[in-house]
Formats: sequence, structure tokens, C-alpha cells
Amino acid sequence: MGEDISTYIEDIISNIGDETKREALEKEFKKFIEFGVPPDYAKRILLGKFAKDKKRKKLLELKGKESSVNLLCKVITINEKEITARGKSKKILYGLIGDESGVLPFTSWNTSISLEKGEVIEVKNAYAREWQGGVQVNFGERTVIEKVDEDRLPEISLEPKKCKIADLHNVFGPIEITVKVLDVSKKEVEVDGERREVFSGIVGDDTGKAQYTAWHDFNLKEGEIIKISGGYARSWKGIPQIVFDERCKVEKVDRDIEVCSRKLPIHKLVEMRGGIDVMVEGTVIEIKSGSGYIERCPDCNRPTINGECKVHGKVNGIPDLRIKMVVDDGSAGIGVIVGRELTERLINKSIDECRQMGRDKVMEILEKNLLTKRVLLKGNAIGDDFGTTLIAKEIEVLDVDLKGEALNLLQRLEEI
Amino acid sequence: MKRETAWRVFAGEYNESNRVIRGEGKKPSYVITPLGAKVNRLFIVGVLTDVEPLTEGNDFIRAHVSDPTGIYTLYSGQFQPEVTSTLLNSDIPSFVALVGKCRIFEPEEGVVYVSVRPEAVYQVDGDARDRWILETCKSTMERIEALREAKKLSQPNAHDLRKLGYSRALSEGVIEAVKYYKEIDLDKYISMVEEALRYLVPEEAEIKEEEGTQEVSDEIENLVLGIIKELEGEEGALWDSIVEKCVQAGLDKSTAEEAIAALLDKGLVYEPVLGTIKTT
Repeated sequence: MGEDISTYIEDIISNIGDETKREALEKEFKKFIEFGVPPDYAKRILLGKFAKDKKRKKLLELKGKESSVNLLCKVITINEKEITARGKSKKILYGLIGDESGVLPFTSWNTSISLEKGEVIEVKNAYAREWQGGVQVNFGERTVIEKVDEDRLPEISLEPKKCKIADLHNVFGPIEITVKVLDVSKKEVEVDGERREVFSGIVGDDTGKAQYTAWHDFNLKEGEIIKISGGYARSWKGIPQIVFDERCKVEKVDRDIEVCSRKLPIHKLVEMRGGIDVMVEGTVIEIKSGSGYIERCPDCNRPTINGECKVHGKVNGIPDLRIKMVVDDGSAGIGVIVGRELTERLINKSIDECRQMGRDKVMEILEKNLLTKRVLLKGNAIGDDFGTTLIAKEIEVLDVDLKGEALNLLQRLEEI
Repeated sequence: MKRETAWRVFAGEYNESNRVIRGEGKKPSYVITPLGAKVNRLFIVGVLTDVEPLTEGNDFIRAHVSDPTGIYTLYSGQFQPEVTSTLLNSDIPSFVALVGKCRIFEPEEGVVYVSVRPEAVYQVDGDARDRWILETCKSTMERIEALREAKKLSQPNAHDLRKLGYSRALSEGVIEAVKYYKEIDLDKYISMVEEALRYLVPEEAEIKEEEGTQEVSDEIENLVLGIIKELEGEEGALWDSIVEKCVQAGLDKSTAEEAIAALLDKGLVYEPVLGTIKTT
């Protein structure tokens, strides 16, 4: 029995993060047990009781699993969003909060809470969850928020966080990043009735590539290395973006950096949701129907079925060739789309030859060439609610050195 | 709804699973294997050993697929007519690859039988099976390592495991396995992987071992014989002194003792008094 109690006590102590409460907690817990209260229930009650006056946590100490935390932070940005939950629409607040340790995104599900930008707030009973690979703070029904004097939080850390492109999906608040400019294009857009110049393109470092948008003419040139301090990371369907403007510092750096894409385990790519020029390796476990030789409607580009477009009826289809497949490395799976030219090269057949062979034969060749084979892929990947899809720029079917790899594994096995 | 990972898990590990996380509502269910794979879908390549219709109309069948560690049981019914007919029309035995969902049968609390409901089945060749064995060994080893790492943590938790680079699903599965399967016999799974790997390199592993021991021991025996000759004088050399000299010469103790024993067996040395060796 004693042993049983200690695991509950450990759980509560680690949750409230205050070792000094151990003795009082043990005493109360034992009392509950003596009265025959089930330990799980006793734990819940005492957790609630002890959590109320526990020490506050710093934002960057949060792991994303805390069910009850107290915070002191400043509201950095705030937005409103209407959502539908259980058939009812309600307004929720979201944005960024910061303290001396850093910045995190938050969502307030509690409609009775109102917040304003710049306020310093004391938060009790918030909870933290993991969301899209990072930690998010949530204010729920049980969360109590009190506006406090600004002096209570002497400074919030808006110190730009040093990061690399591979980290961008997981940082909030200002960043400092050193990248190579891979291309620059200028366009004019209208913002609030005002014409503004905006510069955009691709930058890279030794962990990957990202898009950027600069709302100021920093005279960026292709091939330069720049250090951006104070920019922000955004993401569009998982593709990392860096946004910066005249308030940021942009310095030219006098050393070269090598831009390359690291090969990622597929679970990592799915966690990041997407990326530019990413590289993955995995096994083809499925070739989707609709792969191979198809004809498309000349008006809307939809694939035709028996020479008919769903919208435009009987049409003279334009031939096309493509592969839609699932590649999985055992850690996660992604959809992969291979376009016409890559497919032609892969199976060493032209689209005309494919048309002559007929769909079934082409499918047979694709299956023979790809199914259960290990492939190396490079391309842009985008993420949505259904997972991640990579549009291949390069594909290579790998020869697996079975014996060599097996001997390597045997050796590693001795070490574990 | 995100795509479920197609895990690589040997039958020998999968069939030992008796922990299930039941999905509520639209959430999927998962089987937690003893090494912490959190499985909803599997990718398997193995040998189709039998297909047995369970109904008269052949619309519900049971089949078995074997890998180097055990046998998967498959069930396929009228909702996968293509899979069912592919299986019924396959040669026995033949190599098949399949992607399938976990099928869980829990006749009573705590008793779990797992099988597989294939979503797609393909005819493949032996190379595909060998590649799969290799991948599955790699995955299994990763789980063994993750489990070891989890046990090193003062309070095993998925967050710290993920920091080591393991995927979220694996980290969560491993923590669940540590909690649920109190005594996991890791050595059993290590030998399972080893056997599967030997399967891929049977001749090389053996040749290397034989040649290796043969060559080395000839060389060592000559060295040890030289040392004995050096030490023996009239009375013979003391066993302990020989071993000591051998260790100085760079051999380890057990090898030196084995070499002396081998020389005795061959009659190149004898033991006039217990603990003393002399050349013949």
C-alpha cells in the first residue's frame, strides 16, 4: 500500500512542481485513504487543492502536458475567431503571450475572459497542450485571469530567438536567423489603400529552405548571406516563411553557408507538416488508383472517365501521366505525387508508348517498378488535415544492399 | 483524419501484444506491442502459407502469413472483395506484401487476440521480403533502444523521449508499454532480431565465424607454444606464469587458457604435475 501511495504523491508533486508541499500532501492523502476514498479520486481532489497556490511556471518550462498551471505573462498579440463547437458558434481569443523566458501561442476557450494587448495578467489553472509540434497555452472554463500591475512582470523576453530553418515550425515570437538569399522578386501590393513594395523569394541554410517576405527594401541580392534579427516565423500549409520589415535589423554577413536539405525521417516531416525542397526516404506501400496514363479535360484539367469530363461531358482528352502513391518509412506515411516527366524517366517509357500500351499495362509496370521498393524523394511538401503530400522534383528507386545493411545492424545489435 | 503509419512489426512481437487503447467516437484504436509500437496499421511482407474459407460463399476467409519470427493471422471479408479474391487465388506458398489494419478480439477483460485485416495485398518476390525483414529489424531495434532510454528516465514520459528524436507515436507507445508490460524480456527480442538478420546473411555470418576462429587460434596456439618453450626449462612452466606471459603479449586470459587446453588436446604439451605444462 505504501508503495502505491508514493506513485500518486510523486505524480502530484511533479505536477505542482513544489517539493516543499510533500509532507502536507502525504498527510492529507493518507487521511483520504483511511476513509476509503479511491486513490485516483483522492489524487484528483488534492491536485486541485494544491495546484491553486502552487508556484507559477515560466512559459518555456511548459512541456505541453500540464493540466493545471499558473502563469504571469503579458499579452503580446490578440485576435478573435469564431468557431463552431457542438453545433453552437462561439467566439474564442487567440494570440501570443510572453514572460521573461519567452513567447508562446495561447487560445482562450472561455468566453467570459476578455483580454487586451499589452496587459500583464496573472493566470491560474490554465492548461498546456501540444499543438502542431509546439506547446500551446489554453485558458478553459476553470481558468481564472486577473489583470495585474505591469511592474509585476519586469521584462518580457522579446529577445530574438536564434534558430535555423528546421526549427521555424516550432518558434513563436521574434527570431534571429542567418540565411542565404536564393532568389528575390519584387511586387507591389495594396495594403489599406496604400501601395507598398514587397520583396519575396526563397532563403536557405544548412537545415533547409524557407520562403520569405520583406516589407521593406533591404536591397537583398541573390547569393548574399544575411542575418535577420527580429523577424517572425509563419507557416502556410507547413511551408515555413520568414516575415520581416523595417523594424528588423538585417545585416550582410561575410561568410558563406552551405544550403542543403537534410534527409528527414517521415514522422519529422509530418510533424512539420510541410517544407521546401525536403528529402525523405521510405517504402512505396501503395499506388493509388488513378495513377498511370490518364486523359484530362482540355477545359478544366480534371481527369476524364471513359472520355467524359464530370463537368464538360464528352471531350477530346489531353494525355497525361502521373503517379499518386503512399510512401511510408515505418515512422509515418505521406502521399507522393510524381508528374509526367519524372514518371516517363522512371519507367523509361514515353507518354505515347504509354497510351499505346493502355492503362492496365502502365499500372502493371508502375507496380512492378515501385511497389515495396525503397525510394529517395525530393520536393516540396504541403500539409493539410489529411496529412502531408510531397510533390516530387526528384525520385530515385534505391538498390538496397541487403547483406551490407544486415551486417551493420548485427554489429549495432551487439552494442545495444 | 491523418493517415495512420504502417508500422513494421514482426509477428513474434505483434502476437505478444495484449494492451489495447480503445478509440472513442471517431478516434482510432491502437494495439500497443510489448516494445511500444502504437499500431493501427501494419505493412507486412511474408509467405502466404494457407487460405481457408470460413463461409460457404467464400466471402469470409482466414489466411496465415509467416515471417522469420512467427505467423500473422489475417481475416478478410466481403468489405475487401479484391483482397479476399487475391488471397483465394494466390499460390501456396508464395510471397505477399500487405497493408492492413489491426483486428482486435477481446473475449474478456485482459485477454486480447490480435490479427490483421488486410486493406491491400500484392504478389511480390523474395527480394521484397528480404527488404522488409531488414526494415523490420531496424524498426524493432529502434523500439528496443527507445524502451531502454525510457527506463533510464527517472519518470518515464513521452516528452523527454521525443526530445531524443523518437516520433510522438513511438514515444507514447513506449511509455504505455513500460507502464503496462511490467517485465519485458528485451533479450528475447534482441535474439529475435538477430535471428532475422542471420536469415539475411546466413553463409557470411557462418563463414566469418569459422574462418575467424580457425585462423586466430592457429596463430595464438603457436604464440602460446613459444611462450611455454621459453618458460619451461627442466621442470615445465607454471600454468599461471604462462597465462600471465600471454596476457603481456596481448591475449586475453580466457583465450590463453583455451589455447593451452587446445595444445593439451593436440598432445603438443602435457601436464607432468597438476598446474605445470611441458612440451612433448
